[in-house]
Amino acid sequence: MHNTLNRFQSVFGFFTTVAFVLGCFIAATDFYAERAPSGTLKVSNLQVVKGRPHYYSSVQEEYAIIKFSLDADLSHLFTWNTKQVFVYVTAEWPAPKSGVNATNEAVIWDSIITNPSADHLKNIGPATMKKLKKSAQGKTIAPDRGILSLRNQRPKYQITHPSRKIADTENVKLKLHYNVQPWFGLLTWNQNQDIGFWKAIKGGVSAPFSLPSIKKKN
Amino acid sequence: MAEKITLYNLPDLKNAADDAIANYLNSIKFKQSHSMIDVRLALGYSSFILAAACALWDYKLGWDATKLYTAIAVAIYTVLSGALTVWTWKVEQGTIYQGKAPSGDDLFIASETKKMEPVYRLKIAIQDKSTGKIKAFKISKPFAEFFNESGFFVPKPFQEFLATNISVVGKADSKRIQAASEKLLNENPELLSAVLNAGSEKEAEATGTEKKAGGKRRKA
Amino acid sequence: MLSMLQKPRQAAAQVLNFALILSSAFMMWKGLSVISDSPSPIVVVLSGSMEPAFQRGDLLFLWNRNLLQDTSVGEVVVYNVKDKDIPIVHRVVRKYGEGEDAKLLTKGDNNPSDDTELYARGQDYLVRKDIIGSVVGYIPFVGYVTILLSEHPWLKTVMLGVMGLFAILQRE
Repeated sequence: MHNTLNRFQSVFGFFTTVAFVLGCFIAATDFYAERAPSGTLKVSNLQVVKGRPHYYSSVQEEYAIIKFSLDADLSHLFTWNTKQVFVYVTAEWPAPKSGVNATNEAVIWDSIITNPSADHLKNIGPATMKKLKKSAQGKTIAPDRGILSLRNQRPKYQITHPSRKIADTENVKLKLHYNVQPWFGLLTWNQNQDIGFWKAIKGGVSAPFSLPSIKKKN
Repeated sequence: MAEKITLYNLPDLKNAADDAIANYLNSIKFKQSHSMIDVRLALGYSSFILAAACALWDYKLGWDATKLYTAIAVAIYTVLSGALTVWTWKVEQGTIYQGKAPSGDDLFIASETKKMEPVYRLKIAIQDKSTGKIKAFKISKPFAEFFNESGFFVPKPFQEFLATNISVVGKADSKRIQAASEKLLNENPELLSAVLNAGSEKEAEATGTEKKAGGKRRKA
Repeated sequence: MLSMLQKPRQAAAQVLNFALILSSAFMMWKGLSVISDSPSPIVVVLSGSMEPAFQRGDLLFLWNRNLLQDTSVGEVVVYNVKDKDIPIVHRVVRKYGEGEDAKLLTKGDNNPSDDTELYARGQDYLVRKDIIGSVVGYIPFVGYVTILLSEHPWLKTVMLGVMGLFAILQRE
């Protein structure tokens, strides 16, 4: 009996080793796939309103609603080892007090773009799923999904600050980011410099702007 | 050795033969020494105790409080494991018996088997007590010649194999030494028919390996 | 078994083989901990809140040093909440300030709202020391075994027993 076990052990051990080494090779191919992402971000509408963090709260906070337009080409990020690309837009602004060199950063919009190989994992309704699957029928890689074009997009998240004040904030910038989730290997984000075959995002930052004063919510 | 061995299980055959060597040599007044395995045990158990201590303080005090000690423990453990590996590979080299012959010479025996080949291979090193010179050579014998069909160890041909080929063993147990011709016939009954076709591949092979091994000095 | 007792060194060597397998695995784990500066450098995903990026049973490799920059927005971090046993893997979506005291807010990609509800009572943000690492590497599915083991504890006992038995009964 322990011969059977021995054999099973060595076959299984060999299998895992081979699978792991193969995975590492696949992960390594990421570094040889060129990445040249680009993007243009423009603010299209700004609003600051007062509100409460949730229905039962008595606290009043200020919320910034930043509408924006985005044109981006992230098609290079879709390779055979890409499971999904998480695209997100952040608003970034320095601390209000001068002399304090601290930044604030908050995501205002994000989107999960799956490669067709991972479509079935997405948490969406059956109708949408059918449509999504149909959009890339027969393909396992869909670089065209990396081409984004948003006009006057409403933010997914209204942002505030721990001080509860955000109106009249100056020198705010929008920034485009991405996070590539592989099937196997290292998670990668947009870099600030070119690294090997991976270029930094061309553009991807909006012109600085200031948030307006509060507008009372009706 | 009343133990029954599964004949197609090479490691089991080797283990049984290894055990038989120690039993035999000790019975003919060899003084077995355990210094090699003792070093291995000391290295192994001290690294295990270190790991256990590390686990204990990690469990009792948490990661943050013991970070530095854990780092040191990991470093020491790495060194100890490295030393253990070097010891078993470079020094022990599969040594299964280490002892002093009644004549005062030191004897080292290492054993190995090759995959898919049921042959018991021994590396012998004898250190002369007066000159300190080491004589090293290799001998081998198919397991089939000292295990019977039902898987029981047969001591006589095995002991003769050792006594005939290893001088210090022969000296201590001369009645087990076989004459070369007798040995040849005993080992290969088929040869009876083709006797003088001999010089036989077997013999040729044996001397060949002996020469090669003789040149290589064994670290002891 | 009986013959083992007559040869204490051989018995000790066999027990040692098994002990060294365990302790080496443990020390490799601790070595990873030391290198990544994380108490738990490899974690298994337990919930679907980061789907489709991470499923239950996926293996994540963590890094807990800030060599080049602060832990920042967009990173996927594993954090502990006071009085809760299970660490959570979510993405940082807001960060106010810099350094050790920066206030961080997290959210699961697959969750509709942020994690404020998951934090301890009265806690609105995380700080750096709540985080035990950022996800840097990913291997799918292989951690599922640990989920099985924790959901069916008897499997653990059986496996350990069988492993121990074979390591002791069998040489080499």
